[in-house]
Amino acid sequence: MSTDETTTGHIQELRRGTVVLACLIRLRTPDYGYALLESLNGLGILVDANTLYPLLRRLEKQGLLTSEWNTEEARPRKFYRTSPTGEQLAAALTTDWRRIDDALARLETDSDTGDAR
Amino acid sequence: MTTLTDRYVWAAARTLPETQRAEFDRELRERIGDVIDARVERGAAPADAEHAALVELGDPLRLAASYVDRPLQLIGPKYFLTWWHLLKLLLIIVVPIAAAGVLLGQVIAGADVGQMIGTTIGTTISVGVHLCFWVTLVFAVLERSPGTVPLTTWTPEQLPQPRDDARAGRLGDLVASVVFLVLFAVAIVWQQSGAVWIDGERQPIPVLDPALWSFWIPWFLGLIALEVVFAIVIYLRGWTWVLAGINVLLTIAFTVPALWLFLSGQLLDPAFIEAIGWPWGEASGATIAVIVVVVIGVTVWDIIDGFIKAARNRGGSALGGY
Repeated sequence: MSTDETTTGHIQELRRGTVVLACLIRLRTPDYGYALLESLNGLGILVDANTLYPLLRRLEKQGLLTSEWNTEEARPRKFYRTSPTGEQLAAALTTDWRRIDDALARLETDSDTGDAR
Repeated sequence: MTTLTDRYVWAAARTLPETQRAEFDRELRERIGDVIDARVERGAAPADAEHAALVELGDPLRLAASYVDRPLQLIGPKYFLTWWHLLKLLLIIVVPIAAAGVLLGQVIAGADVGQMIGTTIGTTISVGVHLCFWVTLVFAVLERSPGTVPLTTWTPEQLPQPRDDARAGRLGDLVASVVFLVLFAVAIVWQQSGAVWIDGERQPIPVLDPALWSFWIPWFLGLIALEVVFAIVIYLRGWTWVLAGINVLLTIAFTVPALWLFLSGQLLDPAFIEAIGWPWGEASGATIAVIVVVVIGVTVWDIIDGFIKAARNRGGSALGGY
């Protein structure tokens, strides 16, 4: 496996959980798959369509999202919205994300001072 | 008219359970439609946009599997170790029993050696293949069944004894001994119906004197059976001083009568000696001497080897403490 492939693999692994968190936060305002994909990618949260659509389904099955079909426009679209359970999970994930970020920051500082010694 | 999108949606939806199809159909059409629209907006021709959108989606079967969390492997990590342990266990137990059973059946039916070996190998392979197939099939079905089958949870008590490593090291010895002994026994029985070919025709001339069947050949065959049992005991327990002593008895019980029969001219069939042109003129004395020295040498070495291994085993257990 080349270094590039290794890097890509690890980056994907790191991002996997953050996509869930991003969806839960973003879908406090109801939206449909393609719009969500565009907006997340626009914000720099890079996610593949083949990952996002199955993920939305899974989150709905787990009760973290609710959905409703909007048939007012020419094409019927499924609008997802974060459920109360989804909100709780988003809070828990955010806390954990912050904790990891702090821990990593401390780790960086420690190793910097360690190098200086 | 059926569009590419219709065909794609149909191909993906037909693999799903009936109840999920309508919803999935709608969702997939929304997704494809949105991608096509976006591409057309960026200036693509509608037909090209549709084609490109479907390429992006990829294989419909893979897509459908990812929507319903269907595994794309025969046996996943959840069941892999259980499957592997069970398969190994069954292969180790069932295949040798089947092979021995078929061999026994052939011997009783009085088949000739070629047919005996051929049928045994063929049946053994087919039993192994069947075993692998059915066990794997059951686990592949489990992998695709909803609900969890209670898996045996691992406990530290299941850890193998380190002694088993030494046993695994002795496995090679066991296999070599048993294969050699079985071939030896088969050869003794087989030579009875003729071991000499003249002009490609098998002659009814045995190697060993047929008179020996009254006592000595059954004696040797019995010893070979004991040697097989002995090899298995060595595999299970390792060499000890007692086992090295038993090895001396077994080896002497075999070699001494064999040498005595050979030297007193009772071992080989006179017709066989004549057929191969024994005793090769003037060199016969030297030939016999060489055979006797080699046989005694191998025997003595076999006895010493048992004691060396017993001594080594003892030292190892005293040092290691386990």
